[in-house]
Amino acid sequence: MDLTDLIEVPAILPALKAQTKKQLLQLLAERAATETGLPEREIFETILQRERLGSTGVGNGIAIPHGKMAGVKRITGVFARLENPVDFDALDDQPVDLVFLLLAPEGAGADHLKALSRIARVLRDGDTVAKIRGATDAAAIHALLAQSATPHAA
Amino acid sequence: MEQALYLATLVGTALMLAAAFSSLIAFRFGAPLLLLFLGIGLLTGTDGLGIQFDNAGAAYFAGSLALAVILFDSGFGTPAGILRQAAGPALTLATAGVALTTALFGIAAHYLAGFSWAESFLLGAAVASTDAAAVFFLLRAGNINLRERTRATLEIESGTNDPIAIFTTITLVELLSGHLQVSGDTVWLELLSGFLLDMGLGAAVGIGGGMLIVRLVGKLDLDRGLQPIFVLTLSLLVFSAAGAIGGSGFLAVYLAGLVAGNSAIRSHAALKRFNDGMSWLAQIVMFLVLGLFATPSQFGAILPVGIALGLFLIIVARPVAVWLCLLPFRFARNEAAFISWVGLRGAVSILLAITPILGGLENGRAIFNTAFIVVLVSLVVQGWTVGPLARRLGLIMPQKIGPLEKVELELPGSVHHELLAYTVVPGSPVTRAGRRLPRWARPSLIVRDGRSMRWNDAGRLQAGDHVYIFVHQRSSRLLDRLFASPARVEPEDADFFGEFAVDPSRPAGDLEAAYGSTLTEPERKLTIGALVTQRLGGQAEYADRISLGPIDLIVRDVDENGRITSLGLSFEPVTTEVMPIVPGAATAFRRISQWLSRKPADETQAEAS
Repeated sequence: MDLTDLIEVPAILPALKAQTKKQLLQLLAERAATETGLPEREIFETILQRERLGSTGVGNGIAIPHGKMAGVKRITGVFARLENPVDFDALDDQPVDLVFLLLAPEGAGADHLKALSRIARVLRDGDTVAKIRGATDAAAIHALLAQSATPHAA
Repeated sequence: MEQALYLATLVGTALMLAAAFSSLIAFRFGAPLLLLFLGIGLLTGTDGLGIQFDNAGAAYFAGSLALAVILFDSGFGTPAGILRQAAGPALTLATAGVALTTALFGIAAHYLAGFSWAESFLLGAAVASTDAAAVFFLLRAGNINLRERTRATLEIESGTNDPIAIFTTITLVELLSGHLQVSGDTVWLELLSGFLLDMGLGAAVGIGGGMLIVRLVGKLDLDRGLQPIFVLTLSLLVFSAAGAIGGSGFLAVYLAGLVAGNSAIRSHAALKRFNDGMSWLAQIVMFLVLGLFATPSQFGAILPVGIALGLFLIIVARPVAVWLCLLPFRFARNEAAFISWVGLRGAVSILLAITPILGGLENGRAIFNTAFIVVLVSLVVQGWTVGPLARRLGLIMPQKIGPLEKVELELPGSVHHELLAYTVVPGSPVTRAGRRLPRWARPSLIVRDGRSMRWNDAGRLQAGDHVYIFVHQRSSRLLDRLFASPARVEPEDADFFGEFAVDPSRPAGDLEAAYGSTLTEPERKLTIGALVTQRLGGQAEYADRISLGPIDLIVRDVDENGRITSLGLSFEPVTTEVMPIVPGAATAFRRISQWLSRKPADETQAEAS
């Protein structure tokens, strides 16, 4: 699965400013609302519900908030690179500066989980992550996400 | 006369030194250290440098004593908690497993080697027990950090199956040599009652003896240097006493070690170190003696048959026996495969194969030689591949904590408190701002740059500080965490423990909502932690894994009371291979060169007194 199937260039926020985890999730929900045409509030509630189960901060400054929602047409991603890292209750206590939000349709099942583990895998690669941190515009980040998919495809 | 004394000592010490030095090499090669000892024995023996040694009685005597020492140490080092976890599967393997292996191997030996039925089963019994020394060594020194239940099963099995294999072998030898007269109809009954008597007496003497050892050590105010010798002597007394009254001395000495090691015995740490040392010595002696005793020039004719039987044991007999024995215990497939592969044969099997010679059986030498080859095959094939296999099957757990510098000092007058000396390593949690030592840890002294200072005057701890802490024994594990350098997180760790964290105190129904796991109505009401514990049969353990529909939950940590404190979530259910595969020659070569370029494994914990 190619990450670029999940995310469009406009859904990438290359220099987001957020002070708290809550604000960060709100900004992501806002962006996702324009992508999916669903109410921002509902999206926010969905991902917050998942965060209550345990932080989606996976360590090394990366978080992958996610959730399933009725009304989402297809698996949709929003990516943000933060100007200043925010605390995300991650297991390694490191603040987060790269966030990939993933919303999936209610019936997505295995595809949803496959997409999540694909994202986690890509963002585990030190090189890719370092390059994304150094990138400044949406198109460049999109290209990096696309690139990273190929060498690990096997 | 004097000349002979010096010569014998010279040869003996030279052999011991060669063996001790070879251990340095073996650490780099990975597994077959014991093979090296055996090799040194063979090289210097009849067909090598020409040391003549063919006294079966002496070889058996030395080997048995050495085995008793090894079994005492392995009992001493087995925590009771581990015993509770794995007693079921381990004891099934040690009893039914030994019987099954004996039977399967016996059938193969009868048809392949042409021994009589009784001789074939005798050979089967000799090679049926896994070698405690070999298994312990491989698991501990090979830096193979296994899941607790798997490791415990293997260790306890290898400690307890020796007495049973010994009983079977000796009974068969006595039957064959005519020392034991049994009439046809009641033979099974008599064998069974003999077995129960042997084990029962052994167990009784062992447990009683173990308690006696603890009492005596506590009561008598012996010189510190003498104490370990005293305990060792007592353990051999237990061994011989059980044997003398017709019980299993080997079972007795193992149980005595188990009891003593799990009691609040005085100078536990010093005894442990001494026993470890003695266990090494015993292993070296045992393998050297058995290597010296063997005559490889006689192997020629039966070499192909021996190798075939060795492979049969590895590929058919042991896996079938393990698979059947573990059926009731719900082991994951990869774990069962690993347990069947770590059925290493070692000195015990060779030792037992001496008994037919001692019993004056006609085919005694042939049986011995076959057993010897089977053991060699097992040590080479299995010993060499255990590490890579464990990695391949995904059984090696990431280290819980990083390296640690710690010294434990025993305090006079108390077995419940100890003085710990930690060296603060860079990056350890205690050096971080705001991290203080818990109140129950009583830091009494800090040595910084050669100057000693009081805790209150020292300010924040710095890397390189030596901290002396007076602590209750049970809590030292918690302190280790604070003083350890951060464990390196490898990419595989995320595979192992899952990408995401899950809070075990949340309701299980939330999981269903988020990931579509299917739960029953009562399960929905549980917390996630309780659900996992329930699915695991009531006891959760570090690195346990359960599957909930599309997701896997992995236990990342449990607290002192066995409650789950941290869970991981993975979307990629583990795929396990069905049967172990021997790596091809090219892979083996690559691995050997990797090992050579690697540093010795046992650097993780510096412990001294």
